[in-house]
Amino acid sequence: MQILTQLIFSGIALGMIYAVIAFGYQLTFATSDTLNFGQGDALMLGALVGLTLVGLGVNYWLMIPLVCLFGAFQGAVVERIGVRPAIKIKSEFGWIMSTIALGIIFKNVAENVWGRDDLKFPSPLPEAPMKFLGANVLPMEVLVVVGAILMMLAVEFFNRKTIYGKAVVATFNDRDAAKLMGINTGLVITFSYALSSLTAGFAGVLIAPLTLTGATMGAVLGLKAFAVAIIGGLTSGMGIIVGGIILGVAETTTGFYISTGYKDVPGLVLLLIVLAVRPQGLFGKTAIKKV
Amino acid sequence: MKRTHLVLAILGVAALLLFPVGVGNPYYIHLLETIMIYAIVLFGLDIVVGYTGQVSLGHAGLFGIGAYTAGVLVTKLGTPLLVTLIASIGVTALFGAILALPALRVSGPYLAMVTLAFGTIIQILINEMTFLTEGPMGIKLTKPNLFGVRLDEREFFWVVAVLMVLALIVVHRVLRSHLGRAFEALRGSPVASDCMGVSVYRYKVYAFVISAGFAGLAGALYAFSEQYISPNSYNFELTVLFLLAVIMGGRKSRIGAMLGAAIIVLLPKLLDDVEMFRYVSVALAVLVIATTVFGIQKSRVTAKQMAIPVVGSIALAGLSFWLQTMTDWRLSIFGVIMLFVVYYLQDGIVGFVRSALNLAKPKPEAQVAGASLAGGDAVSTTAASGSGEILKADRVLMQFGGLKALNDVSLSIQRGTIHGLIGPNGSGKSTMMNVLTGIYVPTAGTIAFEGRSVVGRTSSDIALSGIARTFQNVQLFGEMTALQNVQVGLHHTFDSNLFDVAVGTPRYGRESRAATARALGLLQFVGLADLAYEEARNLPYGKQRLLEIARALALDPQLLLLDEPAAGLTAPDIKELISFIRKIRDHGITVILIEHHMDVVMSMCDTVSVLDFGQKIAEGEPAAVQADEKVIEAYLGGQAA
Amino acid sequence: MIRFSKIAIATALVASGTLALAADPIKIGVNGPFTGGSSSMGVSMRDGVRLAITEINASGGVLGRQLVAVERDDEAKNERGVQIAQELVNKEKVTAVVGYINTGVALASQRFFQEAKIPVMNNVATGSIITHQFDKEPENYVFRNAAHDSIQAPMIVEEAITRRGFKRVAILADSTNYGQLGREDLEKALKAKGITPVAVEKFNIKDVDMTAQLLKAKEAGAEAVLTYGIGPELAQIANGMTKLGWKVPLIGSWTLSMANYIDNAGPGGEGARMPQTFIQEPTTPKRQSFIISYLKTFNPKNARMDSPVSAAQGYDSIYLLAAAIKQAGSTDGPKVKAALEDLKTPIEGVVTTYNKPFSKTDHDAITANIPVFGEVKGGKVVYAYPDDQKKASEIRVKK
Repeated sequence: MQILTQLIFSGIALGMIYAVIAFGYQLTFATSDTLNFGQGDALMLGALVGLTLVGLGVNYWLMIPLVCLFGAFQGAVVERIGVRPAIKIKSEFGWIMSTIALGIIFKNVAENVWGRDDLKFPSPLPEAPMKFLGANVLPMEVLVVVGAILMMLAVEFFNRKTIYGKAVVATFNDRDAAKLMGINTGLVITFSYALSSLTAGFAGVLIAPLTLTGATMGAVLGLKAFAVAIIGGLTSGMGIIVGGIILGVAETTTGFYISTGYKDVPGLVLLLIVLAVRPQGLFGKTAIKKV
Repeated sequence: MKRTHLVLAILGVAALLLFPVGVGNPYYIHLLETIMIYAIVLFGLDIVVGYTGQVSLGHAGLFGIGAYTAGVLVTKLGTPLLVTLIASIGVTALFGAILALPALRVSGPYLAMVTLAFGTIIQILINEMTFLTEGPMGIKLTKPNLFGVRLDEREFFWVVAVLMVLALIVVHRVLRSHLGRAFEALRGSPVASDCMGVSVYRYKVYAFVISAGFAGLAGALYAFSEQYISPNSYNFELTVLFLLAVIMGGRKSRIGAMLGAAIIVLLPKLLDDVEMFRYVSVALAVLVIATTVFGIQKSRVTAKQMAIPVVGSIALAGLSFWLQTMTDWRLSIFGVIMLFVVYYLQDGIVGFVRSALNLAKPKPEAQVAGASLAGGDAVSTTAASGSGEILKADRVLMQFGGLKALNDVSLSIQRGTIHGLIGPNGSGKSTMMNVLTGIYVPTAGTIAFEGRSVVGRTSSDIALSGIARTFQNVQLFGEMTALQNVQVGLHHTFDSNLFDVAVGTPRYGRESRAATARALGLLQFVGLADLAYEEARNLPYGKQRLLEIARALALDPQLLLLDEPAAGLTAPDIKELISFIRKIRDHGITVILIEHHMDVVMSMCDTVSVLDFGQKIAEGEPAAVQADEKVIEAYLGGQAA
Repeated sequence: MIRFSKIAIATALVASGTLALAADPIKIGVNGPFTGGSSSMGVSMRDGVRLAITEINASGGVLGRQLVAVERDDEAKNERGVQIAQELVNKEKVTAVVGYINTGVALASQRFFQEAKIPVMNNVATGSIITHQFDKEPENYVFRNAAHDSIQAPMIVEEAITRRGFKRVAILADSTNYGQLGREDLEKALKAKGITPVAVEKFNIKDVDMTAQLLKAKEAGAEAVLTYGIGPELAQIANGMTKLGWKVPLIGSWTLSMANYIDNAGPGGEGARMPQTFIQEPTTPKRQSFIISYLKTFNPKNARMDSPVSAAQGYDSIYLLAAAIKQAGSTDGPKVKAALEDLKTPIEGVVTTYNKPFSKTDHDAITANIPVFGEVKGGKVVYAYPDDQKKASEIRVKK
């Protein structure tokens, strides 16, 4: 029983990371119907930049806003180079290929700058585990859960209570009308990408102390976060938290009871099943297409 | 095939087969072999990406399944070559189906992610199922035996070459057939495709499964070629390379696929050798600059447009001299190439060369001389079983959220009549059409067509049972010719399957010729015969609307729904249109006509129904309806336009 | 910094190569993982090789010809090794090959050299079967100067069971050829002592979370964990143990000496023990001059070789090949092979002095008496037993 509790806690922490990344997918999808296929790499860059800053002596907590700034900048770059031109030329899968391309470039640059080895990220909190309900929980894992929830609440608040938030909703509903109302839709889309990469970078520095940091850490995380976004529903914030927890716990329990090699499988299979049976996700809403 | 093309093709194949005789070094033979194997994958991938327009990130996984099927069969069961290849094709196609059936219910980014997930799962399964696949330790193979003789490097090369040529021929035939048209149609306009009886979902799945088969064949050949397979190879990088190859070489082109394969095989080798790469990058920069200068002189491009390619290629050349080794930056270079291709080379190198040299796109089929059918014969005469109700819609409710687009509407359409459906904008006319053709499922109410319920059936099913339509916003298959558009409507006349097409059976030949003749006849009927080989998107607006009618007639419908056919037409065109519709009715086809041009409605319709805010407010003979107070009020004093 | 000296070395090599008199250089293929998780071994091996080649070329080369290294990065991937092998045989046409760090890569790739009759000197890969892959064929072109697993596994078992008295041990091995074959060797050695491991667990390369495997070992009551893996994953095992609050001794194959294990495991990695053919201490004049040269040329961080064993064995492998080529008087594969099997003059290497190290039937230069036990202490590898250190100046020769 103790082991099961242990696995569930680890699973929740893991799931929250997926949820934060998935959140980023939602942000860009909401405004531009596009996703950043390089989202995982945005996370990786955030983690590595954070590592460098910490290595230069910057305090972990101070480093976080710096990484967020970097993430925002990186997201804006992705949008400018990758997404905006593709939307302009109305290419159907241009933005898919270009965000993939940018992700590959970022990963390769990271490999050359930081090396191909995985590095250890110093933990800001003590590494000794705490006992909770008979299971070992690392302080860092608690920080991950708290941080993830705080970040998502902050963005939700931003969306609902501020003018920017309304601009986002307007752009989503009818880009042309929003433009005519004086909303700079291009800026809104850029902003949403910046915000999305910001959350990814933030997720990166949260999870880095728990795993190894390296150029390849982003790829699988990005894919699983997408699974979470689909399972939860690309339009529902609550959905991705639930989806994240489901995925995280499924992963840790599979890893223990079946085999660690198979731990990525339940999430991906769940993604396929959800898409086959209920494409809008557990909590999402179907959209009507008018002809 | 044209003479010159045939000669070139034969020369090409001959050169290919003579290659290992001329070049003895096994290293280069192996290299060309790998290019051919990748080309086979790309032929299939092009069907999915180039023709049906779906992004698949899972083809490396399918490739791996083919390789491992071969590996496992050979090492565990010692199966002979032919059996192994067929098994690999079959198993991979099966996996393709398992993936496609759920995945293709969605599109765009969803499919990309799903196929990516699939590819990852496959890699994990291969890695973990060590009892079958030896996991990370991989499987060692030798070259296969054929007719009892162990093939050496050269002989296996010939086997691969022959198979590639066969694959090329099969793909070519499939894409020129009704299957290929179906693939293009579902991309051009999914809605129209469904409504012409070509189920978008089903054909997306076919396309995917066919491409999986090709990937499986290539995978098996790859296993023999490399003589070693391990789970690592079939990863995201490979799948991205495949996509890059298709896009860079040129979509919808066999040559493009082969070119793309060559690029993705040779480029890493080039990057490994810094010296060679320097020469090539300098040559490339010179070429780009020369093309730019030439283009600017001829006013074909502006300096601003070419700025990025010029600067980029010079920067690349400079970079190659500064860096000691390019291999570390291999992936970045791929990424940059991908960006470049997405923005500047949308039609790939083949497309670029074609437009630069002003070559025409290959004509889809030989022009059939003198379609001497009288126009009337092309339009089938439905067994007009006298009078009677052909369609009954009873208390149909169509609700979107809180909005009732159709509120308790009942319609009774009599066979052999022209039934008008009018009303102000937003009254629900097009919604009614969409409900009748299965695009929307009504919230409540029944609809019976020739006694069978329509509610809940797919659009393509409804189309095949006898209801055809045109669209308010023209939904033609833009990149296809007028003739091909109509041929899509004739899809239902084909019984031939994949095998018939690939092999070229007499049955397929008959059906193909019949369809072409019939299509030309239909075009003649609407007066578009001389524009048969023109791309639909290039036709003037009025002619596009007529083409839609011709395409709809190809379905041999009992009931034809016309959604504002006169919109945007000039007065003489409208006269022509009226006569067409009358002729159609004379063939026994029932017509429902949505129109705003009151003169059209009044002159043709036997009955008119009027909708306003989703409700039927009047029905009857045209004159009576015209005078009805409620109708006048609805149009706010609207009279004959 | 290191990049510059690498560029300098490369330029020096190229320069020395081009300065050679009319004679064709002798191409030696150098095959190893220079990037990725195994890279510390690969890069150290390559640097040892480069050092040896520079020294040999400076004193006139072999048969009046300069040696040239044709280096290829196999990224520890078996299929890359296969492709590189084909390239080295058909395109580069090398005389001989040194390298292979990873057992799997060696096993997948060697057969191409065997078919082409090109000698392979395995200088790091330890899978027992490597030098016996072609036993059934009349001529075997695969040689090795590393301590193979049929030596290491019994040593590990001896240390854990006999010297330190553990009765219940768990085995954690990675899923590659190296890990799985090593695990088999461990189980065999344990069986010989009448012991069955209480848990046998597997993990993949790039795995980060070892909790599941460690929990199972802990539940089974293991007193020590025997490992067969490489640096990054071994570090995660140590970290995982810290996280679970379960610190039992780690005794495993020589890879516990890798820099990326030591650095990533932090304090939790201290005390791990592994067999070593070479420890970075100047215990003989030859070893001293090797260490000094290496540090001066490559200037590693903190003056610590990333993988001392790989560097030393890489260095020795070139000297062995050079001697064979010289004795054969030609670069013809079969002749070099014959010379290797019957080396007439002793070769003073860093690990040991090679006195007729190979014969027709025996292609392994290192025997069980040569390696000692190393221990991770203070962030580097030192002699685990003071006795060994005292006696280190005595060169252990093959029995």
